Amino acid sequence: MSGEKTLRGKIEFAAVTKSYGRVVAVDTISLKLPAATYCCLLGPSGCGKTSTLRMLAGHEDVSSGDILLDDVNVTDLAPAQRGTAMMFQNYALFPHLSVAENIAFSLKMQGIGRAERREAAEPLLQMVELAAMADRLPAQLSGGQQQRVALARALMTRPAALLLDEPLSALDPFLRLRVRGELKRLQKSLGISFVHVTHTQDEALALADIVVLMNDGRIEQQGTAHDVFSHPRTAFVARFIGGHNVIAQGDSEVAVRADKVTLSRAGTGTMAQHAATIRDIEYGGMAYHVRLSDAHGRDYSCILQEGAFAQLGPIDGETLAMSWAESDAQPLEPAAN
Amino acid sequence: MPNNKAVSGVSRRKLLKSAAMIAGAAAIPEVIYAPAILAAEPITLRYLSTATNQAPAIAEQAFKDTGIKIEYVTVTTDDVTKRIVTQPDSFDLVDTEYFSLRNLVPSGNLKGMDAKKVKLFDKITTVITKGEVNGKKIGDQGTSPHKVLYLEGEHSKKFAKSPTEWLTLIPTTYNADTLGIRPDLIGRPITSWAELVNPQFKGKASIINIPSIGIMDAAMVTEALGIHKYGDKGNMTKAEIDLTIANLIKYKKAGQFRALWTDFNQSVNLMASGETEIQSMWSPAVTAVRLKGIPCVFQPLKEGARGWASGFALPRTLTGKKLDAAYEFVNWFLSGWAGAYLNRQGYYSAVLETAKTHMEPYEWAYWMEGKAATQDIHGPDGGLLEKKGTVRDGGSYETRMAAVACWNSIMDENEYMVKKWNEFVAA
Amino acid sequence: MGTAAHRSIWWLASPLAAVLLLFFAVPLVLIGVVSFWSYTGYSITPAFELRNYAGIFDGCRVGGAGPCVVLSTYLSTLFFCVVVWAITLVLGFCIAYFLVFEVRSSRMRIGLGILCTIPFWTSNVIRMISWIPLLGRNGMVNLALMQLHLINHPLEWLLYSRFAVAVAMVHINTVFMIVPLINSMARISPSLIEAARDAGASWWQTLRNIIIPLCRGGIAIGSIFVITVVMGDYITVGLMGGEQIASVGKTIQTQIDALQFPIAAASAVLLLAFVMLMILALIRIVDIREEL
Repeated sequence: MSGEKTLRGKIEFAAVTKSYGRVVAVDTISLKLPAATYCCLLGPSGCGKTSTLRMLAGHEDVSSGDILLDDVNVTDLAPAQRGTAMMFQNYALFPHLSVAENIAFSLKMQGIGRAERREAAEPLLQMVELAAMADRLPAQLSGGQQQRVALARALMTRPAALLLDEPLSALDPFLRLRVRGELKRLQKSLGISFVHVTHTQDEALALADIVVLMNDGRIEQQGTAHDVFSHPRTAFVARFIGGHNVIAQGDSEVAVRADKVTLSRAGTGTMAQHAATIRDIEYGGMAYHVRLSDAHGRDYSCILQEGAFAQLGPIDGETLAMSWAESDAQPLEPAAN
Repeated sequence: MPNNKAVSGVSRRKLLKSAAMIAGAAAIPEVIYAPAILAAEPITLRYLSTATNQAPAIAEQAFKDTGIKIEYVTVTTDDVTKRIVTQPDSFDLVDTEYFSLRNLVPSGNLKGMDAKKVKLFDKITTVITKGEVNGKKIGDQGTSPHKVLYLEGEHSKKFAKSPTEWLTLIPTTYNADTLGIRPDLIGRPITSWAELVNPQFKGKASIINIPSIGIMDAAMVTEALGIHKYGDKGNMTKAEIDLTIANLIKYKKAGQFRALWTDFNQSVNLMASGETEIQSMWSPAVTAVRLKGIPCVFQPLKEGARGWASGFALPRTLTGKKLDAAYEFVNWFLSGWAGAYLNRQGYYSAVLETAKTHMEPYEWAYWMEGKAATQDIHGPDGGLLEKKGTVRDGGSYETRMAAVACWNSIMDENEYMVKKWNEFVAA
Repeated sequence: MGTAAHRSIWWLASPLAAVLLLFFAVPLVLIGVVSFWSYTGYSITPAFELRNYAGIFDGCRVGGAGPCVVLSTYLSTLFFCVVVWAITLVLGFCIAYFLVFEVRSSRMRIGLGILCTIPFWTSNVIRMISWIPLLGRNGMVNLALMQLHLINHPLEWLLYSRFAVAVAMVHINTVFMIVPLINSMARISPSLIEAARDAGASWWQTLRNIIIPLCRGGIAIGSIFVITVVMGDYITVGLMGGEQIASVGKTIQTQIDALQFPIAAASAVLLLAFVMLMILALIRIVDIREEL
């Protein structure tokens, strides 16, 4: 592993479009990721995030535009020539091959002998803690173990970019948290880029150096997790990323984080405010989660710390004033289309 | 043997899970216990035979004349035999070949037919009853019908040496088979069975692949070649079978045969397509080729022909109204209309006199007397068969039947013969 | 509780078991039993004799002149088995591959799949007769070759030959290979193929390392279909071989027609045993249960 010190996986999308006949799945997206970045492609289903990943992997042709990886134009290269490796959503393990043979499959394709392959697979088997199961078939493993095989197989090709398609969706919540942490650590230690497709915003926020939030084939917003969460650019971002109230103010809209909203009976003179009725109060351990709606039927939520909640003593169905500091109101751009 | 028979009879039937058998079994109580109901309805007879012996027109006419409904049960030659042996309850009347009787009579599944109830029995052609045509003896080798015509008693399993009241089969049709040829492709007279293996026709000849019939044709060839004179072509010794088969294999390996055929349609297709120019053939198959507008002749040969004959038999279990109806139908069949119909198809009918009264004189002259047609000849269905002026191949009734050298048969060494025939096919 | 559930499962299976027993096991046993009986031309008698089996192997002596009838018949049938199996396998695999992986629209796939069943739109006999105008002496193929001056005389071996039998058998049996192969291939997740490509496998490597191994069950089932049909098919051998080529089925048919049921039963038992051995050998190679 001579290249360990060099960071790899600089990715660039230049006006990349993917269309299926008349349907445009990915619409002229441009994106630059520095080397060794953990990037999450986030968005609702059908937003184009998976197509974007598959174009990067080479499993989907690019309709127009270019994709560069470590400054090489890989747009027309075969998947294995790009320096990417894909970890499939269903893991796509070869059911008739043992764990070790699955991991070393790419070596077999290069014509490397069985013994050598086995030897080469050993460090990866150790890394994913499956050395004891090297000779088992995938069907004899648990879901989590299968995923680790898929991961090891992908890393076997020493990719500059590991592409993960919804890697955590099939795992139970406990395992999901654990694997999340492992993925992040792994990415850091390998010094390569991970591009991780997900539709779960907390996954993206927890993992990503750069979150790319997509909607309708376009990039709605990109930036660090903190950026995206604290400065949502549009109402869509604010809603999708969660924890925000989108409040209309005249012709424009602002986003206010749920924990920055206070509730009062009289209103607070210096602050912006909006009347809303309590629909539901939920106890969340650390805080109370109050859900409200206004006269137009728009929904809001407000997180009240225990002290504030006890002081106010809100009752279900009560109409209160929501207020927030002007500085906490994030002005939103009008929707692009 | 009688002790064994009951047991094996039951077991054999168990073997065959045919729905027809169940239907047949169910029909017996109907006859025995419900005559009152039957009397009110027209009687239906299930008529088992091959397709060649069945004509809807005959059934229609029979119903008009007698009120008896004929329900045809159509199977192949070998299946007629199999049905009689294994499912004797699945028919009320069977039209089968004389040569099969050797296997049928010992099974005890058929009953003798009472000559006294067959009105025109005395008028039945001597070809069948005596093996003579116009007083002249005809070939007697094989199962000549007169040898197996009489039973010792109604339920006897033995053939009688001299005429008795009890008959095995009442003849329906008979004829003599030889070789069919394509005169347009051969272009010279063919007069001997030996021509079947003439190297001139290498890859263009065919022989029938029904062992008991094919071996006879092969024997005709062997004899015509002067290789061997058979004691009885219809009942060869093992050595004769070996010799005949060895001869066949020799020609087969030399590529003489384009194909063998089992099925009527196969023989027609082989000839019509020009795949073969000379082959053993049945008379209606020759007609079928000609109806396609392709010249094909049923060739009289100097060594003679192989005769065949079939006739009606009744199952042992037939009683009551159905039995009476069966006799009535048989009598009607001999009374002329059906005979004329069969004669127009190129077969010969059992009672010639009555058939003649149902045919036009020019028809009779063409079909039976070997004279040139004075008018166009039409088939029983009205279709044009031959143009005015044509003479029937093979000549008159007398010439044709007198030419019979041997009859279809089942040999004593049948089992051995079948085995050897399979060797020929496999060679 | 557990045993009760067990019992009810057996109950559920019992109608099928009864049907199989009545229409499959019982006749089969009867055939086995009858194969030891004795017979004349018009009767069969319960007995236990090996005459029928001895009769089959008549003439099979070490050092005899050439192979005996039963041996040459089986060799001939086996020849067709191997040739037809190999051709239908390659052809069936290619067609199934095309239908599953190359045809995108499912309507097109169904349409083309139906085309594969065309050989079954007519009866066996009509289908066979239809070969005459194509392969016959004066058939289209010969006429075309002669008009192109590639040959001067018609090719005789196009019809009524081993070639013709093999052609007709391939024609009928390829679909038996296609169907289980389609079933196997349709189960291969497209992501497996992408994963192989991702690991640097070429098309050929993907085929060899992923698709063919995952089609083993389909290949085994298709092979069983083809082998059983070909081993028992005497109609095609008869019609296309001009009845001049021996087949086990034809031997049995001739014996049945001659009312020699016990020897026919013995032949059938032998054929059954032979085919079972072939299938057992196949199953040893591939566990087909995973495909069912």
